[in-house]
Amino acid sequence: MPGDPHGTPTEDFEDLYENAPCGYLSLRPDGRIFKSNATLSGWIGFSQAELLGKKLHELLTIAGRVFYETHFSPLLRMQGFFNEVALDLVTKDGKKLPVLANAMERRDDAGNLLFTRVTIFQAAQRRRYERNLVDLRTAAEAAKGEAIAAKVLAEAGLTEEQAVAELREQFIAVLGHDLRNPLASINAGTRMLLQEELSDRAQKIVALMQGSVSRMSDLIDNVLDFAQGRLGGGITVALDAREPLEPVLQQVVDELRVGSPSRLIETHFKITHKVYCDRGRIGQLASNLLGNALTHGAADTPIQFLASTTGEKLEISVVNGGDPIPPEAMNRLFHPFFRGDGRDSPQGLGLGLHIASEIAKAHDGTLVVASSPVETRFTFQMPLEPDGEG
Amino acid sequence: MFAHGFGCDQNMWRFVSPAFEDEFRTVLFDHVGAGGSDLAAYDTTKYSTLAGYADDLAEIGIELGLKDAVFVGHSVSSMIGVMASIKVPEMFESLVLVGPSARYLDEGEYIGGFSHAQIEELLESLADNHLGWSAAMAPAIMGNPDRPELGEELTNSFCRTDPDIAKAFARVTFMSDNRDDLSKVTARTLILQCREDIIASEQVGAYVQQHIPKSEMVILDATGHCPNLSAPNEVVAAIKAFV
Repeated sequence: MPGDPHGTPTEDFEDLYENAPCGYLSLRPDGRIFKSNATLSGWIGFSQAELLGKKLHELLTIAGRVFYETHFSPLLRMQGFFNEVALDLVTKDGKKLPVLANAMERRDDAGNLLFTRVTIFQAAQRRRYERNLVDLRTAAEAAKGEAIAAKVLAEAGLTEEQAVAELREQFIAVLGHDLRNPLASINAGTRMLLQEELSDRAQKIVALMQGSVSRMSDLIDNVLDFAQGRLGGGITVALDAREPLEPVLQQVVDELRVGSPSRLIETHFKITHKVYCDRGRIGQLASNLLGNALTHGAADTPIQFLASTTGEKLEISVVNGGDPIPPEAMNRLFHPFFRGDGRDSPQGLGLGLHIASEIAKAHDGTLVVASSPVETRFTFQMPLEPDGEG
Repeated sequence: MFAHGFGCDQNMWRFVSPAFEDEFRTVLFDHVGAGGSDLAAYDTTKYSTLAGYADDLAEIGIELGLKDAVFVGHSVSSMIGVMASIKVPEMFESLVLVGPSARYLDEGEYIGGFSHAQIEELLESLADNHLGWSAAMAPAIMGNPDRPELGEELTNSFCRTDPDIAKAFARVTFMSDNRDDLSKVTARTLILQCREDIIASEQVGAYVQQHIPKSEMVILDATGHCPNLSAPNEVVAAIKAFV
């Protein structure tokens, strides 16, 4: 529209094809190229004339050819298209060009294949991010393996002599520290990824990874607290009332919601007094109680998370539905490495409730449980101003 | 009985097997790790050789009481069928091997078509692949067992393969050597060979034909490694003429 008063440029379809921001290939039914665009030639160095009559797999690495032949070609034939296929094209000077390809068959009314169109996008950056994600997953799995090893060691250590105890503690302390660094990298990596333009599902995946990171971080904290051997004399706390407690509790809930998106956690906070406490520790206590409720509570009943103050004390309760705790398990509930269901729960090492009760003691508080077929309720109470500094 | 090869599942036969339903009872299955198979049944040790897959095939045949049946195997399943037929000779009266290779790696005078380095590169590239990649990441990261639909929506509806298993299967496939098994086959055997098959060349197919005693080879007017998809009518006609 040359006369357009707003100066809208004209689109030339021939030029759009030739110089589109993506590569185009058209394949005959026998798979040979009969048309391609200038953009693709610019990327891979073969002229359009050189590409004529070649097969797509001649542009791939040997591995890519096998893959194309065994995976993508069947898919194309069966569903008439494929999307987002990762391929490496080999350029004329022998370099690899990572691309993503979409393809679509065009058939006549009788269902005979007329030709296949292939659209090609450069994907070097994206491939790198995906590589990173895979590497992160591998690292997370390795870290999980190490955590299990630490657990075995810690469990074995319980029955061994004092002499071994020190070595065990050192080992776990070092291991815990070493686990934190890769975990921090994973965490940073996921945050960086969220700043990129991600597809909806990639965003979901990264959010879930963040949930797992925070769960694992809690796990490491618990193991370290236990291993550092402070539990006999109570846990170390630094009490002050400089900051409000509620945001800490809210953050704990937010993190757990990310990790368990299908579960409902209802919060009722009414903290109207100053509380002298170690907020990080109270957060850890709450996280352990909620983690316990997520693991053992009925999935279809919301978890209640209550926190309130009166003139004298702070009370935090976590309530879940589901089967009651068996009476014989009650008196061992707060023992280290106790796990109610006896199964190998992926959620924890059986330290959560133990640590929670130790944190309660360090605040001159109490942690009690009441369990019935209606609900299981853990209640933590502490004075607003505990004596001493733990 | 139709057995699919590496890279896909029983959908591979969708254009072929229906043509036999009138005259035959057809049996289709997914190897462990592919399609609708139970991934939990995957056993690293058992499936570290093709014999593990051949045992499965024999097990299916025994379970169904197959006797003097016709086995149709594509790609690596050709050799899986060869092994099963040696193990339980009465199960299959005849074998149809589509694009078979008794050994993919070059070795001495034998030309399989691939070097060690090329196979390693293939195994590497499996990790970069999207279709499989999503299936790997889906259960591992999305995969709260209470939300299976999250994993589901990420994967393809056809040719689903678990990438970790696919990678192991690729290694087993491309490292396998069944040349010594060929002479032990007693069933009548038809070899269907395509032109320009980069995975199993005519030379490789001819080797299989020369070493299986009662065998014949038909060269199809089709290119590539999957004539069951690219030229299903020819495949059907050749099998019908043979059985």
